[in-house]
Amino acid sequence: MLLRVQLLRRRFTATLVVVGLIAFTGCATVPDRPQVIVTGDAVVDGNAQRAAAPAKDRALWDFRVAASALRAANPAEAKLRLDEALPLIGGILANDAEAKRARGLFSAETTKTFIGEPYERVMAYYYRGLLYWRDGQPDNARACYRSGQLIDSDAEAVDNKSDYVLLDYLDGFASAKLGGDGSDAFARAQANAKGKTLPPYDPAANVLIFADYGRGPRKYSGGEYGEQLKFFTKDSAAYSATLAVNGETVVLPAYDDLNFQATTRGGRVMDHILAGKAVFKRNTDVVGNVALVGAAIAADNAYGRRRRPDGTIETYGNRDAQAAAVALGAIGLLSKLASAATTPKADIRMWDNLPQRLSFAALRLGPGEYPATLEFQDAAGSTLPGLTQTLKIQVEPADRDTVIFLSELKP
Amino acid sequence: MKNSFRILTLAAVAAPAVFLTGCATGVQNPSGVPVTEMKADERGFVAGTGVESQDLVAVTDKMARGVLGIPEIASAKVAPRIVLDPVVNETRFPINKDIFLTRIRSQLNEKSMGKVRFLDREMMKTLERERDLKRSGQVTASSEPNVVEFRGADYFLTGKLQGLTTKNSQGTSDYILYSFRLTDARTSEIVWESSSEIKKQGLEDAAYR
Repeated sequence: MLLRVQLLRRRFTATLVVVGLIAFTGCATVPDRPQVIVTGDAVVDGNAQRAAAPAKDRALWDFRVAASALRAANPAEAKLRLDEALPLIGGILANDAEAKRARGLFSAETTKTFIGEPYERVMAYYYRGLLYWRDGQPDNARACYRSGQLIDSDAEAVDNKSDYVLLDYLDGFASAKLGGDGSDAFARAQANAKGKTLPPYDPAANVLIFADYGRGPRKYSGGEYGEQLKFFTKDSAAYSATLAVNGETVVLPAYDDLNFQATTRGGRVMDHILAGKAVFKRNTDVVGNVALVGAAIAADNAYGRRRRPDGTIETYGNRDAQAAAVALGAIGLLSKLASAATTPKADIRMWDNLPQRLSFAALRLGPGEYPATLEFQDAAGSTLPGLTQTLKIQVEPADRDTVIFLSELKP
Repeated sequence: MKNSFRILTLAAVAAPAVFLTGCATGVQNPSGVPVTEMKADERGFVAGTGVESQDLVAVTDKMARGVLGIPEIASAKVAPRIVLDPVVNETRFPINKDIFLTRIRSQLNEKSMGKVRFLDREMMKTLERERDLKRSGQVTASSEPNVVEFRGADYFLTGKLQGLTTKNSQGTSDYILYSFRLTDARTSEIVWESSSEIKKQGLEDAAYR
């Protein structure tokens, strides 16, 4: 009898050892990320971060550096970074091993290659579009706006599908500039403009002002295990902007709001997968708790003591209770390990230097240099102190439009 | 003993059941469907993607063969002069527009054995500056610099890319029509026109949807 008890004990110990070994399989060390020396220059630092980042995060850094480069009046760098990212975010990512792992129970969503949420991908196309226009290629700019609007067609609610005002407006404007008919795109833009009246197209306008202001949405994870992708949005102080140039004041109203766009997409397919992971994590945890408690109770009854006829006390083993203790212990341990290893947390990598509001205006100016003043207004229309920028607009005597990018945000 | 066996059997059944909890996501095609090229007249189950190198090669090969086959080129007594006009992109894909005409030109130059000549209008500013230097006597000239020798075009070759896109929960589909034409510079007649159409479709991995 005593031998059997010892045998069961050994089996129980062996089970624990094997389970432990399995649990620690794959805990290989990850190579250290190269250290990045911060210089204070957003473009230089962003590129250094990009170089040090794993390949799956490259597009994220491409996005961030592109926005910084645009604000630092470095369009060549912005173009370079966006051209790196666009083939990835504009392609069809299928049969991707990292994506498959990201869907698995024991890998985080961040395992997958970052391509961003639709509002982030739309902004990559939006910025690339204005750079194409700057290079005298309004048809390629139009292609970017069309791709952007298509990306936004993923939204759940019909009203929120492809509802960027500026993407349609600029699509039509590019067509008008190329001698085509942009009226359909203009009508679509006007329908989404929420009461704002869009300026009619002026194909002779040669200076195109793209302005953005406010801080864009930020991601965070919610839910019991962080399995829900959520957005923190705060209305920025700047509701509108004006540009004083050549004796006239050009109004730059907010036509699009990225806070609105980020929060109106609706559910993702990946959300269902993460919800499934969370259910698994919760259930395995509960089962683990129950099984371990059961194992403890069974173990408590695994041995008994009884008095022999000669009056001495003997210890005897309750085989059923011992077997139950081993089985429940193994299940409990495995369940707890599985629960701990399950990673349902939503991917909250984000393009963190996006603006909140987007605006555009087109005007006619002859070649030359023009001093200009950019001001931002609050909801009541009062000028926000401390945000005013003075700048010079250089209108080239070229056969292409002069594209000016203005932002409230620093590089 | 029977009870022990039952408990172990129950445990063996329960453990996998526990581990499979939450694995049923209900997501269709979780791995996505890789992009597949289809015939333009073939009906796809979803929709497609953009302009790629194989499309460029296929389209420009076809266009170069087409240009060489028309009587205005094949039977011309004097090699016609052609000017390339930039392609117009009406698709949703930003592309390097020059690459189409560059490849058609290089294909024609390779295969026409001198039956066509292309005028290098991209070089006009440089050529004019050089001519002015010759006229002013700042550099030498092997011919009379005041005689206009820049040739005019007999034909203009240009093209247009147009697209149709469909996107739904089943994926994305893109149809692109590549059309090119050769226009007589004197009469404005279109002496040749040809088109190619390519349709592609794909569905990204569920992790990106």
